[in-house]
Amino acid sequence: MSPGRLSHSVAMLMKALSLGYQFGFEIMEVTGLPSGTVYPALRRLERDGFVTSHWEAEEEAFEEQRPARRYYVLTRAGKEAEAMATTRYPLLARLVPEKLVKTQ
Amino acid sequence: MSLREDCLPIHERILPIAARLVPAARRPEWRREWQAEFWQLRHRDGKRKTNPKEALSLSHGLLADAAWLRVDWVRVSAQGSASGCLWVLAVYCLLCAVVELVFVGSWHSFARTLAGHFTGGFVFVAVPGVFASIATYPLRPLRCDEKDLPHASRLSARLLSRVSARTRWNLFLSAKIGLTLALVFLFSMVTCLPIRAAIGTRADWLELLMWAVLVTTGLRWALLNQEQRCQRCLRTLSQPIRVGPPSRNFLDWSGTELACADGHGLLHVAEMQGSWCWYDKWVELDASFQGFFTA
Repeated sequence: MSPGRLSHSVAMLMKALSLGYQFGFEIMEVTGLPSGTVYPALRRLERDGFVTSHWEAEEEAFEEQRPARRYYVLTRAGKEAEAMATTRYPLLARLVPEKLVKTQ
Repeated sequence: MSLREDCLPIHERILPIAARLVPAARRPEWRREWQAEFWQLRHRDGKRKTNPKEALSLSHGLLADAAWLRVDWVRVSAQGSASGCLWVLAVYCLLCAVVELVFVGSWHSFARTLAGHFTGGFVFVAVPGVFASIATYPLRPLRCDEKDLPHASRLSARLLSRVSARTRWNLFLSAKIGLTLALVFLFSMVTCLPIRAAIGTRADWLELLMWAVLVTTGLRWALLNQEQRCQRCLRTLSQPIRVGPPSRNFLDWSGTELACADGHGLLHVAEMQGSWCWYDKWVELDASFQGFFTA
């Protein structure tokens, strides 16, 4: 996937990641994208090196009485691609709101 | 019946089915991730309720995710593999044959046209071409004599693991040459179809010329492609690295090294062939090198 050829959906997903939304369900909710788009897009971004993933610490999840989540974070290449996508789609910032509180 | 009871079965039924699509190595992590996602749906906003429509929508994502992982795994496994190469050639042959069949109209005419063109000219070009190519092909001695094929889990792989490396190598080369010749034959016929419609039987000369060029090119490709494959798994070699200074050709070795992505060996391709290296040198790597190649 070339950074210059990101689709609008993928650009929106990367914008959500850059704003601190970290896991599939949360990204799906904030972007309004269908689940059939979000999860395969996350895999593709991870394969292409724009995103990296890690598991949440078990203790943290245990404290909140829920299973540990898999978090996705933009890599350096991902951040550059996201900046390019924001230039290409200037309205993205209005479509995805800033993350204010940590999702329970 | 509560909403939760309505929705849980969707998740419980689809997750194991979709998990079978996911490659085995990634399955436990994938299940864990999706269980966390479904938990999030059930416990959103502190409520322990699930909208069935939303559960169904998330199940769609679950299936799409599993399917994507499977397709990507197939793509990566087929990339550069011997079976992938044969499949691609076979599909191209089939496409050319379908175009020809549609143009001539019936199976009978199709068979008659193929037989006519094959015996009427193609064999006179292909047979000497094959003979010349095989005779001048510098057969690299095979170093790999082990019978074990890596990842011999499928039936075809288990059957292939019973034959020696040399037999596998020769079987693949023969199949590739056969399919390449078939593709050249069918492609030339399809390409000459509109020309034949315009200028009649005079197009046969053009077809003959095209056969000669394509048979030579195709066979050369098939043999070069064979040279750049791993002797054990027949996968295309990758990661070319320049080794040695070219200015010291008389004193030291200089050329390119290619590696098997699964760590079975290295191929040394000398920049200049000499009396001491008529062909590329294959160096088998033992199991101690596996750590450098596994992700």
